[in-house]
Amino acid sequence: MDQNERKFASEVFSEYYKGAKIEIPKIEQREFGFGNIKKIDARHLSFGTREEFRKYLVNNTPLFVSHSASYYEFPSGTPMVRKGFLGADLVFDLDIHAEGKYGAYEKLEAVKSDAVRLLKDFIMGDFGVKKENLIVVFSGNRGYHIHIRDERFRSLMGEERRELVDYVMGNGLNYREFFSLSDTKPQRLLGPTPSEGGYRGRFAKETIRAVREKPSTISKTLKEDKLEFFIKGIEEGNWSRTSIAYEDVIKRLGAIAQTLPVSSVDTDAGVTQDLSKLIRVPNSIHGETGFIARVIDIANLENFDPFNDALVNDKKSIKIEFLEDVPELRFRKETVGKFKKGDIAEFETPISMFYLLKSSAKMR
Amino acid sequence: MEELDFATAFPFSEGAKKYISNSLINEKVIEIAIERIKRGMAGEIRTTALFSENDKIEWIASFATARMILGFLKNSNITNRFAVTESKIARSMLDKIDEKTVERVGEIFGITTINDGKNIIIDMCAFLKNSPRSIDYKLINRKLTGGRMEIKASEKRRLIEEAIRKRIEIIPLVKDPPQEIKAAASRIDALVPKSSTTVVIKVDNHPPCIAKLLEGAKNHINLNHQARFYLATYLTGINVSEDDITKIYSDLPDFNDRITRYQIGQIKKKGYTTPSCATVMTYGLCCAVCKIGSPLNWHKLSKDRKEEIINGSK
Ligand code: SF4
Repeated sequence: MDQNERKFASEVFSEYYKGAKIEIPKIEQREFGFGNIKKIDARHLSFGTREEFRKYLVNNTPLFVSHSASYYEFPSGTPMVRKGFLGADLVFDLDIHAEGKYGAYEKLEAVKSDAVRLLKDFIMGDFGVKKENLIVVFSGNRGYHIHIRDERFRSLMGEERRELVDYVMGNGLNYREFFSLSDTKPQRLLGPTPSEGGYRGRFAKETIRAVREKPSTISKTLKEDKLEFFIKGIEEGNWSRTSIAYEDVIKRLGAIAQTLPVSSVDTDAGVTQDLSKLIRVPNSIHGETGFIARVIDIANLENFDPFNDALVNDKKSIKIEFLEDVPELRFRKETVGKFKKGDIAEFETPISMFYLLKSSAKMR
Repeated sequence: MEELDFATAFPFSEGAKKYISNSLINEKVIEIAIERIKRGMAGEIRTTALFSENDKIEWIASFATARMILGFLKNSNITNRFAVTESKIARSMLDKIDEKTVERVGEIFGITTINDGKNIIIDMCAFLKNSPRSIDYKLINRKLTGGRMEIKASEKRRLIEEAIRKRIEIIPLVKDPPQEIKAAASRIDALVPKSSTTVVIKVDNHPPCIAKLLEGAKNHINLNHQARFYLATYLTGINVSEDDITKIYSDLPDFNDRITRYQIGQIKKKGYTTPSCATVMTYGLCCAVCKIGSPLNWHKLSKDRKEEIINGSK
């Protein structure tokens, strides 16, 4: 981006921040970090009030804005130990790594469905977190963040949070242990029921769904009456109602067990367990896309489309020239592109800005 | 349980404070405190029979005094050993007393449970904060619904034991205590063999997960069972001698020479090999993305690749 383009982006950012909804609970206890060249060039900053913070954003328009999941007595203190840790939100970061600048976008839907699963099955189901104690946020680029602000989790330390990461990622999951043999005669294969919570219940539910959809998951001969008989058994925790050897039943269900964890939780970045890491400020703009890291209404999560719902509202038309080939994308529910190097096009501000920030185009 | 007996058995409880607020640090209490620290260092899980009220009060006071000595001494090895032993002794008490009293001790640490007649139910966060990081306590193997889970009565006691250990391990620094405390501290200090802390192997020659464990041992952190097992299989895997492994383990707060040597012997005899990275991950001990399949393959990596991984894991 040249100076002119940076100035253009700054004006758009600044205009947006004037009215942006900034809801950071206990803002005075958070550490902030800002970046223009890297995601975080400067950290250990703090603000007393939301208005003070807003003013900073409007005047300085950094490309990347992050805050700590942690709460501190002295958020700007250095080194870390001087900050006086008071607790932290529990944050999950779902992300995709894909080849190239645009590879991730086709996979965003898959990450979203992981986010939905993580939210409903794990966070609200297994962990018992209430809707009002969490927010779901589009990351502004390649994924989603879930911030849990439930008091219960606040004092957990890194290693304890690591347990939660292991839990949702299925590290150490041994589904064979869900099964046991009854001491009756004839012996029965006992297993989880769909009404149970956690992995056990999910496993039973998923098995029922899978065999209904594709009986050959268990056996080709499992049809109609026999199938329903088998399923009825599972509902009661009795997994014996087929003619197949118990060991084979268990073995054939291995593939189902593998689909249960949430695999797109980012383990490298470790924002969940590393309490010193910073996370994008909800409703701030992501400097690589110009998308708003939008807080999403949970009821609308399944329909959320960043290429429509995360765009800043600026209808001005901006002409750009492409500097490289760019694949087809869907903005505002319509196909845009693909483009070849040298193509010239004109779009509303957020779309042009997207290509500029990605260094795929220059202003004309 | 009588109030005084409760305070004697669990001297970290709030109630214990009221018995010692007036009692001064006297010679006898200091002697008991020193004995208590020595017992901690040796890892002797034995209780002392106390009969008179005065004996009991002195015993409570000796706990506070011992902490003062440790706070001045600032030796994490001794402090952690002391914490392990004290928590194990408290545990042996927990195994003897009635449920109601166990509940009372649990409450000190926020370990509250509901007994629905069939199961003991605990909040998952109370569980996470106080469970030992071992495979038996991994959340994933539990029935977790709505933030609650079932535990066994013995597990509840184990959680309390862990909570006690953690609490005792944190000792406020004492800058300028009375002369008697300083004198006691130097008597304890004199007991520490000065040569035992030589580093046997260099931490940065090993994969991140192992480096972390070695650092941990060096800093007298109480590694859990899986961590010790993994570390021992790894060290045997790269041909570190039994003596050297024992030296590394001697930094652990609950070190016992005989048991350690026996366990290393078992690893060799039964032919336990170093687990794969995937298994290490299930122990919750993997802390980087090395993509090497087995931690032993670390030694085949180029210097640049090693640095890249180490920097990435920070
Ligand atoms: S990837 Fe393997 S070697 Fe690397 S930290 Fe994890 S377990 Fe250790």
